[in-house]
Amino acid sequence: MNKFMTTFLQTYVSKVRAKSFIISTLIIILLIFLAANIDRIIELFDSSEEVTTLQVDAEEAQYGAIESMFASMDAEFEIEPYEGGDAPAGGAVLSLEETDPMAFTISAENDLPDEQKTEIETALAEVQRMNTIQALNLTPEETASLGESPDITYDIAADDGEAEDEGSAADMNPLNSIIFYVTVIIMFFIIINYASQIGTEIAMEKTSRVIEMIVSSVPPVTHLLAKISAMISVSLTQLIVFVLAVIAAIQMFDFNNLISEFGLESNDRTVTLAVYSLIYLILGLVLYLSISALLGSFISRMEDLQQALLPVTMFSLIGFYIAIFNIWTSENMLVIISSYIPPFTPFVMPLRAMHETTGQVELLLGIAILIVTIAAVIWLAASIYRNSVLSTDKGILKNLKRIRRE
Amino acid sequence: MSLELNQLTKKFNENTAVDDINLTVPTGSMYGFLGGNGAGKTTTFRMILGLLKQTEGTITYNGKPIDYSVTNRIGYLPEERGLHPKLKVEEQIRYLAQLKGMSKKDIDVKLDEWLERFEVPENRDKRIEKLSKGNQQKIQLIASIIHEPDLIILDEPFSGLDPVNVEILKKSVKELNSSGATIIFSTHRMEHVEEMCEELCILNHGSQVVSGNIDQIKSDFGQKEIIIEGDHDISFLEEMPGVLDMKQVRKKTTLKISDEQYAEPIFKEIIKLGYFKRFQVNEPSLNDIFISKVGRKYE
Repeated sequence: MNKFMTTFLQTYVSKVRAKSFIISTLIIILLIFLAANIDRIIELFDSSEEVTTLQVDAEEAQYGAIESMFASMDAEFEIEPYEGGDAPAGGAVLSLEETDPMAFTISAENDLPDEQKTEIETALAEVQRMNTIQALNLTPEETASLGESPDITYDIAADDGEAEDEGSAADMNPLNSIIFYVTVIIMFFIIINYASQIGTEIAMEKTSRVIEMIVSSVPPVTHLLAKISAMISVSLTQLIVFVLAVIAAIQMFDFNNLISEFGLESNDRTVTLAVYSLIYLILGLVLYLSISALLGSFISRMEDLQQALLPVTMFSLIGFYIAIFNIWTSENMLVIISSYIPPFTPFVMPLRAMHETTGQVELLLGIAILIVTIAAVIWLAASIYRNSVLSTDKGILKNLKRIRRE
Repeated sequence: MSLELNQLTKKFNENTAVDDINLTVPTGSMYGFLGGNGAGKTTTFRMILGLLKQTEGTITYNGKPIDYSVTNRIGYLPEERGLHPKLKVEEQIRYLAQLKGMSKKDIDVKLDEWLERFEVPENRDKRIEKLSKGNQQKIQLIASIIHEPDLIILDEPFSGLDPVNVEILKKSVKELNSSGATIIFSTHRMEHVEEMCEELCILNHGSQVVSGNIDQIKSDFGQKEIIIEGDHDISFLEEMPGVLDMKQVRKKTTLKISDEQYAEPIFKEIIKLGYFKRFQVNEPSLNDIFISKVGRKYE
């Protein structure tokens, strides 16, 4: 076994077997399974009970109007005339007072679920509207014109006609949005979690001085690359476990309701987005973990670690915010420019990938920028590590000066 | 076949840490580097191992420069001790030994052997951070020699150990040497070098004061020490030719003479006075050599 693999396996196995890894992975898996059953869990704590029959206490004319309104809305409960007494089990009583506007009272044993309340309220508002229209003796044309929307056109000189290009909520496919959000959030979560781990891993060896024994056996650059690769593999292992948990949850539980409710259907951009999101996710992790290794190799005291890793936190946070807060205006200048700035590219490019207006060239250019940056960061980290590995100077600046000297 | 340093120099900016060292470590020898703090011992070791690049000069081992292709045959115990605090002893040694090219199976066998030898077999499953400093040092030493290297470099191996452990360590180092390994170690304790080494190099502020075979150095040095014990007054000896220095403490007199040839006339002179309990001619101590070469006492 070569020395790269020795260090790689030692780091990988010790990290994957660490309690922190196992516990954090289990917590996320648990959350995934809880999220998959969220409707059932809500039901569990929901004291409201769906009604199956609605007895209507009203004049015959109004009864007919109400019944046909519910029928036109495909209500899932029976409409019956009121039979007197309390509301029957699993049912509710709707009584009408013919005031202007009309007053309705709904009596039931238990509280009604929110969806049913909304359904009933919508139907009753429509009944009220029809009633008012009748009272005003409007012609059918007049009635129809009541429902029309105004025609509004924005004519803004400064927009230069580009306004139409801006991505908007209207062309947002919910499934694509979810892919984007999941990519960006997972990337941010893993970066924040693993940046400090790889920084600690590298700084610990330097501060404990074991590094001198190690680099007397293996070249420092090989050692550093093995460490970085191992940590990236650990993060990808966790990612794969999460993906498997999601797949398992989909297999085990019925998602049809959730999917149809949110309209989660793919469109012609979904595959492009998914592929590029995955590529940017992996490149983003490699980039940020390499930067963390670079910063970790600057320091020789554990106390300086958090300070040294500040740029990682800052850049990932800024990239994350640019991506998340521009989801409705994804083709503005900030997004376009920041998508070519390496630390922000992995966060912002998946956002651009959602939209038809972003061509393959731009997306591939982003990948090229990241690969070049990663190579530069690893090269820099390796040369700094090689020169600073035996340095015990305190403070980042002193170490930098020392690196220049040697 | 040996380790050779030629005109080895290391400068850190204006500061010369090691200045023009020339020496040969014969294969299979036990070689001592003696010097106080800042003498350049660690810097020299780091250059030998390729951890620091020399400013000038060459280092060859068996005629070739030292690089990572030969590090599997070299064992190194750094002066600054440190191991992965969270790893178990077994995991730590296995990792470091694998980096030296050992197989897991060999490591397991050898590890048990060495833990027994250093009288710490119960520590195999303990985390490094739970061990005492002395025991951590033993573990680190095991890690540096478990792969049975040809060349072993030990930087201050005895510092921080209690006398019992120093003896255990000395015994093991001697055994490794007698089984064929070339051993270089640094120390600031002269008695360790005198006791264990055939060869030595004394460093002072980065410069090589003296180096080579200890017996040869002592005999080349010329000066001898005579110890005389008896009841007679021998203060007149101070005036005799070749006597450099004389110290009297009660009935014991210590003389320094510039050459062994002056011992015989002194002996002949004192036996005229009668019975003496002791007349002994000693080789000079390393301390004497150091003082004479550097012009001050060894730290």
